[in-house]
Amino acid sequence: MILALIVAAAIVVAAILVAISQLGGGGASSGEVSKLYAGVPQNGTTLGKGSAPVTIYLYEDFQCPYCGEFSRNVFPRLVKDYVKPGRVKLVSEPMAFIGPDSVKAAEAALAAAKQNRYWGYYYLLFANQKTENSGYVTDDFLNNLAQKTPGLDMNRWKGALSDPSLAKGLEKVQKKASAEGVNSTPTLIVEGPGGKKKLTGDQAQSYGKISSTIKQVGGS
Amino acid sequence: MAPSVKRGRNRGLRAALVALAVIGLGISAYLTWVHFEGIAPVCAGGSHGCETVQSSRYASLAGVPVPVLGLVGYALLFVSALVREEIGAYLGLLVALVGTLFSAYLTYLELFVIHAICQWCVASALVMLLSLVAAFARLWRLSS
Repeated sequence: MILALIVAAAIVVAAILVAISQLGGGGASSGEVSKLYAGVPQNGTTLGKGSAPVTIYLYEDFQCPYCGEFSRNVFPRLVKDYVKPGRVKLVSEPMAFIGPDSVKAAEAALAAAKQNRYWGYYYLLFANQKTENSGYVTDDFLNNLAQKTPGLDMNRWKGALSDPSLAKGLEKVQKKASAEGVNSTPTLIVEGPGGKKKLTGDQAQSYGKISSTIKQVGGS
Repeated sequence: MAPSVKRGRNRGLRAALVALAVIGLGISAYLTWVHFEGIAPVCAGGSHGCETVQSSRYASLAGVPVPVLGLVGYALLFVSALVREEIGAYLGLLVALVGTLFSAYLTYLELFVIHAICQWCVASALVMLLSLVAAFARLWRLSS
């Protein structure tokens, strides 16, 4: 009898822990974001020193689960190893093709870019990503992330949300993606003095592959 | 079986639980330290799996780093092993069962969601599984 109670209690406690984990309780904190970007210049959707010899263009959709994997697992290391030392700069190219929520998320991030706070918002969007087109990108969700974004002026951000330049920015990304032949996300275009390389699929998820590509195009 | 023999075997199981709890505390303490220091855990073979897992969104639960939960779990396991009565055996089983179930979930995340293996986390999961076996055996002995 007692044994059965213990097993039941253990299952309930474990289920609660799993539920908290799945509900995004593990989403990044403001402190984590500040630490990741400490000392790294931000200019609109560009992260890193303008003088960096290599540029990586990140074509992603904020609802795309593989982009989420890249941004949660590989991206922080790229920032630490290549962006902070000034060897690489990153340019985010937010595509919004999965659904209307992709557009909402991308525009909210671009509104933060008006204050050069795009990358904090970008990181939080992926850290708190849920199932695509499940309707999780609500106004409350976006406001909550904005409040967590270090250094973001909420009033200015809210005001920028209705700026028509955001939709134009997304159109520009779409045109650029077509011109570059980008047909899946995440796609990384690594460009440097030694040429230009496109990474997709598993290659875009591999830190080792991205690292060797950076060296190949002239960022060693 | 003579009661003295039974007590002796139980003492062995309790000692095993203490040893496992100490190993678990060591692993959790190390991972907690690297978390707060903001450095990458040392992973065998130069693998980046530990760092990938530790920097993933699942590395914290409502703001509490997972290694801190490990510290709490192993501390409770340690205490349960020091308590001689049945209550200690029941507490040990409860903690080890919760720990094993949660470790199984974390291992699933590593394999199928994060796609990276943290050797420290796998070691902790194995320690927790062994603790479950020891805790169950301890209770079995007490009740038989």
